[in-house]
Amino acid sequence: MVYIFTALYCEAHIFIRQFKLIKNQESTWFQEFYNEISGIRLTITGVGEIAAAAAVSSICSVYKPTQGDLLLNVGICAHTTKKDGIFLCNKIIEKATGKTFYPDILYRHNFCEGTIVTEMLPWNGKKNASPTENLYDMEAAAVYQTGIHFFGPHQMIFLKVVSDSGAVEEISREQAEHLMEKYQDCIFDHIEQISYITQKNMCRRNRLHQEEDRLIETFCADLHCSKSMRDSMQQYIRYLTLAGIDYVSVIRDMYEKELLPCKDKREGKLRFEEFKRRLF
Amino acid sequence: MKNLRDDYFNPFFSHIYVEKSVRNHVRTQKILAKFPSAEIIEISHYKDVFCRNRQSYQLQHCAQKLILAARQGTLLYGGAPVCQSFGNQYFYYVSCAMNCIFDCEYCYLKGMYPSANIVVFVNLEDIFAEIERMLENHPLYLCISYDTDLLALEQIIGYVREWCDFTAKHENLKIEIRTKCVNKSFVRNFTPISGVIYAFTLSPQTVIEAFEHHTPSLTERLSCAAELIRAGCHVRLCFDPMIYVPDWKQHYEEMLEQVFHMINMEKIVDVSVGTFRISQDYLKNMRRQEPDSAVIWFPFQREDGCCHYPNDLMEQMECFLTERLEEKIPKEKIFRWKM
Repeated sequence: MVYIFTALYCEAHIFIRQFKLIKNQESTWFQEFYNEISGIRLTITGVGEIAAAAAVSSICSVYKPTQGDLLLNVGICAHTTKKDGIFLCNKIIEKATGKTFYPDILYRHNFCEGTIVTEMLPWNGKKNASPTENLYDMEAAAVYQTGIHFFGPHQMIFLKVVSDSGAVEEISREQAEHLMEKYQDCIFDHIEQISYITQKNMCRRNRLHQEEDRLIETFCADLHCSKSMRDSMQQYIRYLTLAGIDYVSVIRDMYEKELLPCKDKREGKLRFEEFKRRLF
Repeated sequence: MKNLRDDYFNPFFSHIYVEKSVRNHVRTQKILAKFPSAEIIEISHYKDVFCRNRQSYQLQHCAQKLILAARQGTLLYGGAPVCQSFGNQYFYYVSCAMNCIFDCEYCYLKGMYPSANIVVFVNLEDIFAEIERMLENHPLYLCISYDTDLLALEQIIGYVREWCDFTAKHENLKIEIRTKCVNKSFVRNFTPISGVIYAFTLSPQTVIEAFEHHTPSLTERLSCAAELIRAGCHVRLCFDPMIYVPDWKQHYEEMLEQVFHMINMEKIVDVSVGTFRISQDYLKNMRRQEPDSAVIWFPFQREDGCCHYPNDLMEQMECFLTERLEEKIPKEKIFRWKM
């Protein structure tokens, strides 16, 4: 699942349209849209750090993201010198505290990278001239700080579209929508690519563990395993599976010789020792 | 899916994080010059990047970043009990770089560090000054390539050469450079120094292929070691860690035959022998990071916070190797790790 967080509806509409997202009518605190088939859940947080932190926290507490999920914070921002462009943030500075955060940039992409500064109020370029080229927004630092409780730094992506150089009040809703549309193709491509990679890694892992679990269940039941014996068995089976050692034929042979199933726990212990002896 | 290539990871050192305090350091400048297209990100302290929560060691290793920083606080550490001192009384190790470009599944660094990114401390001069202070009181045996493979990073940071030059100037300093690397250009262009021991970690080719990803083959390592011996260098062979695989005896026997064939064992400084062992805490971290690695999911025996192979297996493996080595080199040159 990709969890998308935008501050405003005008930043979200490209996703709602592209992925045919449905509004979650049961969500009363935040506007939430989803499509289970596309694996997208989008939340409109509202503007500012507190609103963003509250939304990320609320959504993640309900849906409990896993290692196969991603967080995407996307929206418009200001830039010290540029008036256009899309940036992938590799460094996030929270202006109020001076704290700095670094999302991992593990995968190839076609975006420019940059540092974003999150402020409590819209950045006014004229008042606060910065010596370095930075992006400015009002949510990224909060999204990262809340998100890190649920996601790793390699699972969080911060994409920002430049709308102005410190005069956000001059940007209309339509202009913001238009800007998002301008960059929608590269955003969709990136989402698709990263979620494909993440899912691919997760699928292989799950398949391996499911096979193990099935075998352990049957074998342990027939050995009358105690909790500690089951843990130990789990450890052995995992190792044997990963090492590609043919333990299945040993188990099969034990069944053929009617050593299994065992009649009680005591006999089970003896058989477990025999199983280990045959393999090492 | 459009344009999804297999090499979807960023190339090595696509991003270089640089501590603000070392931005203008001469070594920083030299290193950065080697990566003109890298994205340079300024940081306050290396731990801001290196010690973040919930990092994926496994994924980061596929797209390692470089962090340039200044080493502060303790610069030299006393040798750990699980490490071999080779009979040296003043056994210390230094960490001038953290993490490795190689990807050995059993490497303790995966359990020790929260990140797979490579940290290089550029203030080598501070470490040298500390060593000189210690040398005033006693000689020193110093392992400089424990938390990294320094020789593998040589083309980027050039630290082995700096260490060799420094050691050449100090008679009572002996350094060990442990490596799995085959740095041919380094081997061809250097002068042997009596205080420097090149220690090659050797494993059977089966183990290398299964668990020591991106490392040179056994033949390449041995040929590099042989070349160094011919040039008059001190070379140590480390059969440590020995890794259990089914038919381990056959694999280790084949490895030894190749070693004896390629290396003049009389010229070897010494050898170390030890089966894989690791702190329980590190193993726990490694298993979380690498749920699909056979070598670290072995059902180890736990003893005093350390995990190792069951006693009888450990004994069998180490005795086998020690006995075979005794046929070629004197007993006193074989250092077997003891619990």
